[in-house]
Amino acid sequence: MRTLVCALLATLPLAAAEPIRVSSFSTVLTEIAQQVGGPRVAVTGHVKPGVDPHEFEPKPGDIKTVADAQLILLSAKHMEGYVGKLKEATGARGRLVEVGNEFSSLKMPDEKDPSRTVEDPHWWHSVANVEKAAKIVRDELIELSPADKELFTDNAAKYLARLETLQKWAKAKIAELPRDQRKLVTSHDAFQYFAHENGFTIYAIEGISSADQPSSKKVGDIIAAIRSQHVKAIFPESIENPKVLTEITRETGVKVAGNLYADGLGEGNASTYEGMYKHNVSTIVEALK
Amino acid sequence: MRGSPLVRAFIAFLAILALGWPLWRLTAVDEATKTAAPGATTEAPAAAAAPVREIKLQVTFTTPPKSFSIRHLGREVWSDKNGKTEAEKTLQLPYPKEGVELQFAADFPEVAPLAAARLVLTDPQGDDHEKSCWGTRRIEEVVAFP
Repeated sequence: MRTLVCALLATLPLAAAEPIRVSSFSTVLTEIAQQVGGPRVAVTGHVKPGVDPHEFEPKPGDIKTVADAQLILLSAKHMEGYVGKLKEATGARGRLVEVGNEFSSLKMPDEKDPSRTVEDPHWWHSVANVEKAAKIVRDELIELSPADKELFTDNAAKYLARLETLQKWAKAKIAELPRDQRKLVTSHDAFQYFAHENGFTIYAIEGISSADQPSSKKVGDIIAAIRSQHVKAIFPESIENPKVLTEITRETGVKVAGNLYADGLGEGNASTYEGMYKHNVSTIVEALK
Repeated sequence: MRGSPLVRAFIAFLAILALGWPLWRLTAVDEATKTAAPGATTEAPAAAAAPVREIKLQVTFTTPPKSFSIRHLGREVWSDKNGKTEAEKTLQLPYPKEGVELQFAADFPEVAPLAAARLVLTDPQGDDHEKSCWGTRRIEEVVAFP
């Protein structure tokens, strides 16, 4: 009996050290979970950097991992059309958190039916929203492992301080650009939160999803706007085929600036949120100055 | 149909001419809008710079600063090391209808308590716009007017 008790006690620290299993369907949320959770979480990022989240569909292997996860993080705001499948897979075992639904949405007319509005799901282009997301993830992790509250709180505070520094840097960089030149022509409509936070007007060639195709009227309207608003540059995206953009440059003579990361983190310098955001801000400011 | 063939041909020519004008107006391609050959580009549109206008800036501090500076579009337009609690300056700046953003920085003595700065911008129309910033030891903020 004594041996059995000793054996059970010996397994307790090991059980406590078992990392919390997190499944994330957003590259930004994957980073947040890793930064806040540190060594106490094992995060599976199902949507990899550079993958278009609008087109992503979970494979059987993803569903299996989700079924075993303790925390499932989703971008939400209708980004994941497969959310039903995930809910079915996880049942009541894991906590499924639709992070983007926890804060307010910016809405815009639907490309297909302008009489109705749709939510912009690209909430991470607002640093303030990423700060909120970090707090949500911190609180969820604390709920799952109250013993690690101090670690998660400290890690979140460090991450939030970095976001604040990033926000200050971005504001100062954007202040180099006259306010009447803050016109952003992008391939798909992914920068409403960025525009709202930094005083830009958006002219998007496609709709919210990168799969939306622009009509010839829409392309004509964009060309007219570029001319009348004296837009200096247009911005393709890392994932997009820039065929239509090329057509617009032929018509207007406007230059094609560097790629923007619209749908999440990318590779290299853009593989972190800070790197991705700095890349986007620098690319925009330098091209429109 | 009666009349000489010459007259009939002349009438037909006039009719074609009358129809031709609106047809030409509808189908003609403007130089600026015609599609260029693949690979070619037309001249990029030049951005119309906002006109330079006179604005007045007033800064008031709750604690005398060691120094402060104001930058516009990345360029320093005003700096002061007098350590006074009030200062004002008239500046010539491009002022679009959207307004301007100014990068304001101020350093305070290390012993100073929480300090505040009030910036009042008088725009080219003569309207005042007021903004406040707070900080200890250093304030560094982008202030948007209006």
